[in-house]
This record gives sequence, structure tokens and C-alpha cells, in this order.
Amino acid sequence: MIERLGLMATQPAQPGISAVVLLLLGLPLLLGVLGAWFRPLRGGVVASVSLLPLLATAWLLLKVSTHGVQAWTLDVGPLALHLRINGLTLLLLLLTQALTLASAAYAPGYLRVAVKERSAGGAWLWPLLGTMVASLSLIWLAADLLTLYVGLELMGLAAVGLMLLPGHVEALAAGMRYLLLALVGSLAFLLGVALLLGGWGRLDLAGLATAVEPGPLLWVAMALLSAGLLLKAAAFPLHTWLAPVHASAWTPVSALHAALVIKASFFIALQLWLVLVPDAAVAAWLVGGMGTAAVVWGGLMAWRAAKIKDVVAWSTVSQLGYLLLAFPLLIGTTPAVAAIAWEGTWLQLVAHALAKAAMFLAAGNLILFTGEWRVEGLAGASRRFPLALLSFGIAAISLVGLPPSAGFTAKWLLLHAALAAGHWPWLLVLAVGTLLSAAYVFRLFRFSFIEDAPHFGLRRVPGGMDLIALLLALAALLLGLVAQWPLGLLSMTGGAP
Amino acid sequence: MLLLDELLLTLALVTTAALALFDRQLIRACALFVLFALTVALAWWRLGFPWLALLEVLLGAALTGAFLFHALGVMPWARAPRGRLSRWRDPVPLNWRRGFFRLLPALAAVGMLGIALASLPAINEAPGPLRLSGTVLFGLGLWAFALQRHLLRRLLAFNIIGTGIFLLLMSLAREVSPAAGQGLVITGLVVALLGTMLGALLIRRLNGLDGRRVMASMKNGGGP
Repeated sequence: MIERLGLMATQPAQPGISAVVLLLLGLPLLLGVLGAWFRPLRGGVVASVSLLPLLATAWLLLKVSTHGVQAWTLDVGPLALHLRINGLTLLLLLLTQALTLASAAYAPGYLRVAVKERSAGGAWLWPLLGTMVASLSLIWLAADLLTLYVGLELMGLAAVGLMLLPGHVEALAAGMRYLLLALVGSLAFLLGVALLLGGWGRLDLAGLATAVEPGPLLWVAMALLSAGLLLKAAAFPLHTWLAPVHASAWTPVSALHAALVIKASFFIALQLWLVLVPDAAVAAWLVGGMGTAAVVWGGLMAWRAAKIKDVVAWSTVSQLGYLLLAFPLLIGTTPAVAAIAWEGTWLQLVAHALAKAAMFLAAGNLILFTGEWRVEGLAGASRRFPLALLSFGIAAISLVGLPPSAGFTAKWLLLHAALAAGHWPWLLVLAVGTLLSAAYVFRLFRFSFIEDAPHFGLRRVPGGMDLIALLLALAALLLGLVAQWPLGLLSMTGGAP
Repeated sequence: MLLLDELLLTLALVTTAALALFDRQLIRACALFVLFALTVALAWWRLGFPWLALLEVLLGAALTGAFLFHALGVMPWARAPRGRLSRWRDPVPLNWRRGFFRLLPALAAVGMLGIALASLPAINEAPGPLRLSGTVLFGLGLWAFALQRHLLRRLLAFNIIGTGIFLLLMSLAREVSPAAGQGLVITGLVVALLGTMLGALLIRRLNGLDGRRVMASMKNGGGP
């Protein structure tokens, strides 16, 4: 498993890679400051500037696919920070840059229409967004616990800041709860890191993988690390903060948060389990049980939710349950099962990120058009706003897992892995989750097709905002047809023994 | 002599932390917290980490203290507190029954930590007063965090849990890899400051908007 994570690469980094990675980490920060200074009013400007980090990522993709997995250290004084790039890292970097581009291009129009006055929040959006993207990239690249801690903390604080931007009482109260929980989660993470450092005297994941021995110290450390990370990932019993935070946040912020921020904590947790406790099958089943509960409970709450954004937020809780199934399918199973589950997990992550971002943007458009937060307020939307509803529907196809979407391929792979491992309960979870997600999606559509609609507070919304949501939704759908490409990227070798 | 010195320091740390956590007079609690942070700086100095001591004075005592007082609205020209959230006295009385039940999770966490620390490999030295005070601060802070509803007191508790973890971390990392330990603690200090800053500004803002509704929504939401 460690070679899959690219941690065992032995060859030194190609010239230029380290510099481009630093550029990739620094550019979003710089662009964020520039954004605060100039306060862009056109999405096109933002999109063209945001292409720069995407180009840097493409260069890295080219370089790494010819030279293989890269791992190197970055010396900061007496500290050595470990970084690595492999296929998975590249896939996640590309996803991050693409979704950031979409959300950032969506933001100026949203600010102009939804946030009327030139509030201070509009200026703060850009630097916080830049910080969040830089810290996300750092998390994908990091190969030691100190770098992961720095990335996790930066991301958490930037995410809290972004959630606070609307500035009204509900947003601030939800943000305060989020802040306290995020701080507690980071303390648990730090204590776990401290125990690992005390026990084995090192923080790099490749070194720890060979050094750690099972025992109470490792188990307590893993329990603390997992608790902190699952709290930040809104995994089932620790998910209560998620829906209120999303209900009042700005739409582009919600999209990025649900698509990427939550996944980053999941990514760190899964990576730590695979590296440190690759045989803890019983504990992994426990996490799988949490995932099951998340799928069912999140689906039920999404089905019953009164507000449109709550439906989408609860669906995040439910969909994250599928990702948690990766723990029992990857840990303590045969290599053949793990190989299928590995592909299924990351494809599910990418598919959900694209579909959820599209769904949040489409839902935000519907809310802007109709001026209604409630699900009932969608009555008649099918006739008036077909494009926004179409984007929502295409995103829903991937979310429910209907062919030919990427969500379907991912669930198919997970199903296949569960069958091969003989884990029958997970088949049932996947089936129930599909039914529940179909139920809450069709509930929204049922309201939107009501014909005897009352009046609307009709609002003009820039067409570009509709277009961005539609493009993201199409990306989630069409990724299923070209799923060979991300899966091929995942199995990229080179440098691994 | 050295041991006596360390024991005195430990005692001072735990006493100031407990007073800061359980004083219902909030201005006094914040002042005690600043005193606590200065004691921590002294502890870092004695342990041979002058950089951590300096950062603790700057970030932990001066800036965190300034933000805490800002949250309370203590200004030279303000004579009396305004608004519910910045009330200078926490109105919720300590109930013994509740106190006991909130103590149980904190004890469980400390017990778990104790088991882990007991099974450390031999490369670490014997537990000293530093590790003990770190564990006690961690437990005290957790108890206070679970017990109290007042946002400012929760921020204080968060800071004290964090300090307990920093002390534990350095006691573990001192021998094996001090550079990595210092890196983690410095990151942690900056994060704690930024978290406290955000929290303090939020408390002020919420207070300005509508204290009563916020209190109600926080109560309904419950806590960790």
C-alpha cells in the first residue's frame, strides 16, 4: 500500500520540480492578495488568471508521467519537510485547481447579484480562498506529519474564515461552532502526532511505516489522529456542524468546502491508516459501520430537509459514508481486493467532488433565481429555469450513481471489491444509499415540476454562472466515459520498488 | 535542587491554569490566563528552549491576552459591560452533578493518554514533572471545555488544553528530535493565536448583532 501512496520513491526529484511545486503553493496566495486589492468584477478575468496554477499542474503531470514518482525533502532550518508527487497526488491537484477555477470564476457574479453592497467580506474572499487552495495542495503533496499538520491547520482556519464571510447572525453562530470543533479536532491530531514522535522519534511517513510496532501507544495515537480527522471530515457521529455551516455560507465557498476541504481530512486519515496500521481489520470495520450509519442517516435527513442547501449538505454526509467504506475494503483485505477498492475510492472522491460542486452551484443559482430557500419554493422552476435545473439533474445522475457517470463507475468498482472480499454488508449499504439518494433528488424534482406555480421574485442572473454549473456537472457525467484516464494515472509507477 | 525547582514550576502552572479556568469573574480569569502564559514561558526558558519562551510571551501572553480582553470589551473608556456575551461575570452557576458527569470524559481521555505514555519505548527518559503537568493541564482543560457554555471560557479552556499538549510534546521530543518538536509547537502556537483571534472577534461581532438569539442557537446546537 505504501508504494501506491508514492512514499517509497527512492530517486531524487527531477530538476525544476521542487521549484514548480513551490510556485504551485505560492501562486494561490499571491493571486489571493491581488484579488483583495483589485476586487475583480468579471468572472472571465478571474478564470484566466486562475489558469496559471492549472498550467503549473499540467507541467508537473507531464514531467512526472515521463520520469515516474518523485519524492524529495525541503530543508527549512533544521527541519526537513518531506514532499512527494505520484499519480494520486497529481489527480487531486488537478481536481483542486479545476474546482477552484470554477468556483473563483463563479464568485464575482455571485457577489454582484447576491451580496449587493461592496461589503468587506467580498475583499476577504480572495486571500482566504488562496490560502485554502495552497494548503490543500500542501496536504496532497505532504509526506510527513509536520507538513500535514501545517496544511491541515491552515486549511481549517481559512475554511472557518470563508464560512464567516456572510456576516449575519446565523453564519457567525454556525461559524463559531465550526471554529471550536475544528480547534478541538486539531488538538487531538497534534496529541496523536506527539505520541508518535515520542514513541519512534520521527515524523516522515515512510520512516514511520517501517518503525512503528503495534501496541497501546500506536492504538491511542491512531485513535486520537482519526478522531480529530473524522471530526473535520464530518464523518457520521461527528457531522452535526456541517449542515448549519453550509446553510448560511456563500455558494462558491460551500461548493469548494464540500468538494475538497472535507475530502482532505478523509485523505489524511486513510493515508495514515494505510501507512501505520495496515492490518487493523476490526477497527476498519468499525469505521465502515460509521460509514453505513452516515449513508443511511445522511440520506434520510436529506430526504426530509426543508431547505434546498440542507438537502445538498446532508447529501454530503451521506456520500462521505461511501468513502468511509474504503477503510474496511482496503485494510486487512487481499491485494486483489485492495487494488479494486483503491481505484473505486479515489474515483468516488473525484466524482463526488465534481458532482457536489456542480450541485451546490446549481442549487445556489436556483435559490438566486427564485429568491426561495425552501424546497417548496422550487415549484414551477422546471419551466422558468431549465438550464439550472438541468445542471442539477446531471450532477444528481453522478451522485445517485446512474450510468454512464463517474459516480456509477466508482460505485461499480466498490461493489466489485466488496463482492471479491465477500463483505456482503457493504453491498446492502451501496444499494440502500443509491435508493435514498434517488429519493431525495427526485423529491426536489417533484416540486420543480409543479405547474400551477405562484409568482417569483424573478431576478436576473449572469448566464456565466449557469454555464459554470453545467460544465462541472457535465465533467462529472463524462468522467465516467473516460474513467480509464484517471485510473491509469492512479496506477502510475516508477521509483517504486 | 533542580527537581524542587521543576516541582514549584509545575505547581505554579497547574494552579494558575485551574484558577483561570474556574474563575467566574471573567476579567480576573483572563488576567490569570496571561499570568499562566508567562509561567509557561518561564518553563520553556528553564527547559532550554529560549525561542519557544519568546514566542510564548509574544503570542501566548501578549497577543492572546489582548484579544481576550478585546472580546470582553475592556477598554480604558468603558466603565460597564454592554450586551449579554461580553458580560464580565459568567451567570451560569457550577452544578456539582453536572460537574461530575462532565469530568468523566476528561478522566477517560487522561486515562487513555496515561496508558499510551506508560507503554513508551525505552528511548524516552523517565517521566518528569513536565510530562505530569502537561497531562494535568490537558485533563483540566478538557473538563472545563466540556463543562462551560460561555464562549470566552471555552476559548480559555482550548488554550490551556493546547499548552498541556505542547508541554507533553516537548517532554516527549526533547531527547529524540527537538527540531521537529519545536516545529510542531511553533505551528501550534500560531494556530492557537489565530483561533483565539477569530473566536474573540466573533464574540465581539455576535454580541454586537444579537446576543440573545446567538445564546439560544448555541444552546440548541449543543457542543462536543
